[in-house]
Amino acid sequence: MKRRVTTYILHSFILATAMMAVACMDGKWETPDMTNPPYGNNNIIETDTQLVTIDSLKQRYKTVISGSSMEKITDDLQLKAIVIGNDLGGNIYKQICIQDSTGAMIVGINGTGLFPLLPVGQEILINLKDLYIGGYGQQAQLGDEYNGSIGRMSTDKWEQHVRILPGFDVAAIDTLDFDISLDKDRYAGYLVRLTNVQVGDADGKTTFAPEYKAGTTLTYNGSTNGYVHHTLGNISMDKLVLRTSTYAKFAELVIPTHPITIYGIATRYRDTWQILIRTEEDIKDN
Amino acid sequence: MKQKLLLAAFLMGLADVAMAQQPQTQTMSETERAAREESASFIFTESQLEEDADAGQEVIQINSSANLYTSNVGYLFSPMRFKYRAFDQKYSDVYMNGVMVNSAENNRFSFSTIGGMNDATRSIDYASPFESNTFGMAALGGSNNYNFRASNYAAGHKVTLSALNRNYTARAMYTFGTGLSQKGWAFFGTVGYRWANMETANVQGTFYNSVAYFLSLQKVFNDKHSLNIATWGNPSERAQQGASTDEAYWLANNYFYNPYWGYQNGKKRNSRVVHAFEPSLLLTWDYKINDNTKLITSAYGKYAMDSRTRLQYNNSENPKPDYWKNFPSYNYDVWGTTDGSNNDLNAWQESYDYWRADMANRQIQWDKLYYANQQMNKVGGDAAYYLLARHNDHLALGLGSTLCWANKRDRKFQIGIQLASNKGMHYQTISDMLGAEYLHNTNNYAVGTYAGSDPRVQYDLNRPNGTVGVGDRFGYDFNIMVQKATLWAQYTREKGISYNFISAKIGGTQMWRDGKMKHGLFADNSYGKSGTARFLDGGFKMGTNLNLGKGHVLGFGVGYMTYAPQAFSSYGGSAFQAPEMNNNFIDGLKVEHMLSAEIAYALNLSWMRMNLTGYFAHGTRMNEWQNYYYDDVNSFTYVSMTGVEKDYYGVELGIRFKVTSAFSIDLIGSMADAKYTKNTDVSYLLSTQGTVTTETLYNKGMREASTPLTVGSIGLNYNVRGWWFNLKGNYYDRIYLSYSPSLRYESTLIRSGKVDNDGSLIIPEQAKGHGGFMLDGSIGHQFRVGGHPLSVNLMATNILNNRKLVSGGFEQSRSNYTTDQSTGEVATTRTYNFQKNPMKFYVQGFNFMLNLNYRF
Repeated sequence: MKRRVTTYILHSFILATAMMAVACMDGKWETPDMTNPPYGNNNIIETDTQLVTIDSLKQRYKTVISGSSMEKITDDLQLKAIVIGNDLGGNIYKQICIQDSTGAMIVGINGTGLFPLLPVGQEILINLKDLYIGGYGQQAQLGDEYNGSIGRMSTDKWEQHVRILPGFDVAAIDTLDFDISLDKDRYAGYLVRLTNVQVGDADGKTTFAPEYKAGTTLTYNGSTNGYVHHTLGNISMDKLVLRTSTYAKFAELVIPTHPITIYGIATRYRDTWQILIRTEEDIKDN
Repeated sequence: MKQKLLLAAFLMGLADVAMAQQPQTQTMSETERAAREESASFIFTESQLEEDADAGQEVIQINSSANLYTSNVGYLFSPMRFKYRAFDQKYSDVYMNGVMVNSAENNRFSFSTIGGMNDATRSIDYASPFESNTFGMAALGGSNNYNFRASNYAAGHKVTLSALNRNYTARAMYTFGTGLSQKGWAFFGTVGYRWANMETANVQGTFYNSVAYFLSLQKVFNDKHSLNIATWGNPSERAQQGASTDEAYWLANNYFYNPYWGYQNGKKRNSRVVHAFEPSLLLTWDYKINDNTKLITSAYGKYAMDSRTRLQYNNSENPKPDYWKNFPSYNYDVWGTTDGSNNDLNAWQESYDYWRADMANRQIQWDKLYYANQQMNKVGGDAAYYLLARHNDHLALGLGSTLCWANKRDRKFQIGIQLASNKGMHYQTISDMLGAEYLHNTNNYAVGTYAGSDPRVQYDLNRPNGTVGVGDRFGYDFNIMVQKATLWAQYTREKGISYNFISAKIGGTQMWRDGKMKHGLFADNSYGKSGTARFLDGGFKMGTNLNLGKGHVLGFGVGYMTYAPQAFSSYGGSAFQAPEMNNNFIDGLKVEHMLSAEIAYALNLSWMRMNLTGYFAHGTRMNEWQNYYYDDVNSFTYVSMTGVEKDYYGVELGIRFKVTSAFSIDLIGSMADAKYTKNTDVSYLLSTQGTVTTETLYNKGMREASTPLTVGSIGLNYNVRGWWFNLKGNYYDRIYLSYSPSLRYESTLIRSGKVDNDGSLIIPEQAKGHGGFMLDGSIGHQFRVGGHPLSVNLMATNILNNRKLVSGGFEQSRSNYTTDQSTGEVATTRTYNFQKNPMKFYVQGFNFMLNLNYRF
């Protein structure tokens, strides 16, 4: 009897061990093949006859851009550009900024979390047909029609019109040294560098974009609406501002009291340059 | 021979300790009982159960064989996840050989830890809330005591094979027992395997893979002493199902749409995989001191490992396929609750077409997440998406010792102690980087409130800016220690027509947190040990049954109990304000008080049996705790509610008409209510800032959720020549979904304009699920094959395939507007309406289980 019991115990342990050795079902997962990126439209074929540059596109739609209106692109046109700005830092919102060797512009996309899909340095091909082009405060922008002016396109539409190209090179982005006298029609939207510049309101406590509080002396875009403007150097705010969202990841970074170097996207709102810092990394001590 | 007699006497002595205050009548056929238990343990637990805090479901194993209602409801209404008296599971106590095994940390017992070992867990001594018993004071929601002694199991072998279309599709079990040998040895063992893969599982994108073992060895030394050792475990891996909105079910054209899975490289992958293994050990010493007195002592230990994966996004877009922004109704207000100025019908159509075009579109797009991470690798950025695992590991130890005294006639007395200690280890690890190379242990939710270089955004100041990879702990890491000691006693006496009992207990609980990370927002009180909180609890219960003769029995019971707060439960409930962040206890944490009473009437006639029970319970100073994203403050919040008061009351009816010796009709039903009786103090801690806000939560009138408060059943049972058939028509109604506190904060109500002309606040109605009718049936027979019994039974649930029944769910806690953080006022109105889109679970459609078991 004792032997039988021992045998049972032995058998059951063997059985239990064997069953526990049953393979995991949720095993190792391999990284998917990215030859054809799972984002964007891989059916867009680069066609030389359709390719235009940003500058030539802006020239073609010069009137709608400068008139802050919009128009649907009906021709088979393609644009090849590099992403120079996105929403990684939370300051650029529902937009990406693109640039090629001739110019730069904004693409309005009604989505957040675009940065990992379209990181800075990514080369993309855009099928322009059926997209809208226009000017928002004369800033050239691609997107969709929204209440009669240029707005953002849906993420689905964007994904149908963009192809991710193999090219990826952050270093290839041409960074322009900012000068107040730069031609806005040509250079608005560029990645720029402002060297040795003092940001306004620097008192050792004020941050780049604190939440609005009644009685503040800071300049908010509108009353309480999410953007704080600071001067850069001695230039008046109607010509140049540093524009920062209170939702920016670096919004609560204290403004240095000494001159610094700033990288950012030089957008325009009519005759005013608005510098948008992309991430905290764009703020460098001299 | 003499020895055998002694052993038999010993075992009978033990058995005689078990008692019931009402006569037991009409036992089920063994096949039927087995079938019920098989079925019940299937429907309970598993993928829909023990979900996130909001979807948390409970299993109540109430089953006092003396009462027709309580012995039937657990099994009968399990497809709708019926909760007995709508009580939380923490009010039910589970014992094993006399030692209490509810977790000292959260006061609950997880029935899934004994799944797949059905033959081992069949012997249970139940006690309904006002029923005396031998193992402990009966709990508010009932108690049960498993008998795991090897000699308790029948000798022989048994093989069980099952095929079904529920959470798993196949099961095999092998059981063997020796019975008690002449030399006093007994051994029992069972092993089982439950399985479903993604192709066979009833719920899309899930799988099930679980081995179970149970071994018990007993040595009866003489007529006084016996020792038993039992060990069990069920290493399991299973993929989960998520709740979603009616819009998603409609778009997917599937009431079992599951947002948790998607395709990776063309293969189905689920983002929520549970890995659990809780090896347990139980040592029992039975000591028969003399003919009237016994001492039963058990020591229990387990090391539990439980991890649950989930997809996390880091500053990027939420990858949930049923994220609100992905729905057609994000673009067009289909409810007409806004002014419609943001309506975009084209976008609605585009989104609709996208959902409908391809199943892959409405599931997780894993390839895209890998793509995003590879892009981040190129710029040296942190992972945009990763799979994390939330771990809740436990080292639990318990000791229970009960001295039972009984004179041979009318009096019984028990006194016992229960000691428990639990070390809960709660931490988060990276389960899969999804192709990403980098991730930092920083609190990205706080970045923005603070600059990225601010130390307050660090999850662990002891390792600032630490990078983490697969298997590394990040985000939070803390232990919760709980120690409990309880002394209880019970006295029962029969006198004349009355059977009376009184029981009481007193206990002490102490708990503390031991933080393993120094959280940036709580640098001074997150690392190392917190203070120790101590609570004294206890109470009494008494009851009487009057045998009025001619089959009439009248019973009364009343009790007053206090309960120390739950230390921490990953399903909601905590004595700590934000245990993932700091060492603080909740302000105003108190011992909960509960008054309960019951009046019962039973009638036993030759042709009819009836139980009619009315009950009432009133809880005060209760504590509740949850966490969720609160839109209006743009932050994840840890929410504690104190001073909660609730009423539970209802009537329960069970009738069995014995029409012929072979045919009976059952009527089972209850009407219950379980609701908050006063508004509650709420305070919430913002995970982005560490600040705490206190205000009033208008939750008066909210009801216990995810259980039908009205149930009714008519059952037909027919037994003939070893065959049995039954057919049950069950009706369910008043199914509430978990209310969302944030919608009912005073500040939210004012902000969203829910104020009438008199200045009174308008409290949103609690969301409800659809009730309805379900038809279940079963058929069984015992054959003899090769001289041994072969039982076959087929159980079919929801035969009419009623898919519209909601078994549970929760309101979405998000707001239909955005809030201006500087003024606290509504900034913009959203087109999407969260309150019109609660998250729901629907019942399974037609499902079955075919069960064969063969004894030899």
